[in-house]
Amino acid sequence: MANDILLKIEGLRASVEDKEILKGVDLVIRKGEIHAVMGPNGAGKSTLSAVLAGKPQFTVTAGTIEFLGQDLLAMSPEERAWAGIFLSFQYPVEIPGVTITNFMKTAVNAHRAGKGQDPLKAGDFLKLMREKMAFVQMKPEFAKREVNVGFSGGEKKRNEIFQMAMLDPTLAILDETDSGLDVDALRIVANGVNALHTPDKAAIVITHYQRLLDYIVPDVVHVLKDGKIVKTAGKELVAEIEEKGYDNL
Amino acid sequence: MEEMHIRKGDRVHRIYVLRHTLDGGGTSSLQSEIPQQIVVEGNARADVVLLVFPGISADIKLDVHLVGEGAEANVYGAYVCGGEEKVKIAVDMYHDEPHCNSRQLFKGIAGGVSKVDFYGKIIVAQDAQRTEAYQENHNILLTDGAKVDTKPQLEIYADDVKCSHGATIGRLNEEEQFYMRSRGISLEDAKVLQMISFIAPVLEHVEDETQRDALTARIESEIRNIIRNI
Repeated sequence: MANDILLKIEGLRASVEDKEILKGVDLVIRKGEIHAVMGPNGAGKSTLSAVLAGKPQFTVTAGTIEFLGQDLLAMSPEERAWAGIFLSFQYPVEIPGVTITNFMKTAVNAHRAGKGQDPLKAGDFLKLMREKMAFVQMKPEFAKREVNVGFSGGEKKRNEIFQMAMLDPTLAILDETDSGLDVDALRIVANGVNALHTPDKAAIVITHYQRLLDYIVPDVVHVLKDGKIVKTAGKELVAEIEEKGYDNL
Repeated sequence: MEEMHIRKGDRVHRIYVLRHTLDGGGTSSLQSEIPQQIVVEGNARADVVLLVFPGISADIKLDVHLVGEGAEANVYGAYVCGGEEKVKIAVDMYHDEPHCNSRQLFKGIAGGVSKVDFYGKIIVAQDAQRTEAYQENHNILLTDGAKVDTKPQLEIYADDVKCSHGATIGRLNEEEQFYMRSRGISLEDAKVLQMISFIAPVLEHVEDETQRDALTARIESEIRNIIRNI
């Protein structure tokens, strides 16, 4: 059914500094689906996630992206966030001097303002913070820490999923969320993502390896190679890639 | 000449705020009220915070003399320029006696076609062993038209000292901005957050919480105006 479509990418081409990275990507994601985008290094996986989130350094040269019927490419990164897109960064950015509490308060209230709602009361906000931090097993003292400053790899990724839980997006894009995670952190992150998933939402899991997909089971698997989706299949494709490698697809 | 003399064992904490109007409450100072010389005797301590608000041009010259063992001086300063301001700050920190501590921290934002000159020097006399002296000056340039010159200096004649100085001039980090925007924080709010957190290490030395909050709120609203006019 057409009204089940959350995201529709057609003929997407994108460049960074005049170098074309995405060379015609088509992708349709429906409500309730989890899509894995796999591929070798340099295939354009991170570019795809950056373009979806609206990173200014990337130029879209052709194609369209519709998100819930809206023209995504006409929207600023913050408007995309308000509309329900969330990107979990491969390399979460450190923001010296800004505490997680202040950061999230600004973000949550910006989302509310985008929906015409009043700012959350201080007590309600702190309650929500505590609840979502516990959800990803972040210690309460992290609330006062500067965003990602001095965090280990696992702490940064848990912080990403914490933010995702706070903002409750419709489409979550997880860019190499498994990189730099030990197995315990991987499980916490994956459980978080699975728990946040509902039939109204969707997720794109971008990864090089099978590992994360043992925990977050995809409905559809795509292989991105040299800026194009070269193969799409069900979750059985993951095992095939693991066995044959990307070169023999 | 304005002189501040701090007697043995005493402690003085002063805030000087150079601003045009008193919108939003708080205090304001005249440049002539800022001491040009601070003398700190043994085991005494001076903490001085200088804040230069947008729209204010200033020429501040400050000599600090640590003249008794165990004297301590901390000078913190922040300046925010968004137009045609000229801000000149020069600090000479004289360590004349042993076991004295000093710290200078100046942070500033230069936009518009403003011009900032910072000069800071630590002078450690031969007898001033066990000195600890630190100086930092960090700047953010908002526009191509703004200009910052910073000259940190060290002049050390003693051999058992811990001294350091550092100066930086940078721009607002765009990776940080994209990260914040991807969470729904508007570009304007992201910049305000970056700039306020940049000067917060100076503002935190305003000890009275009510005064600190009022000054922070006022600087924040002036920073927002500067961003809107870029």
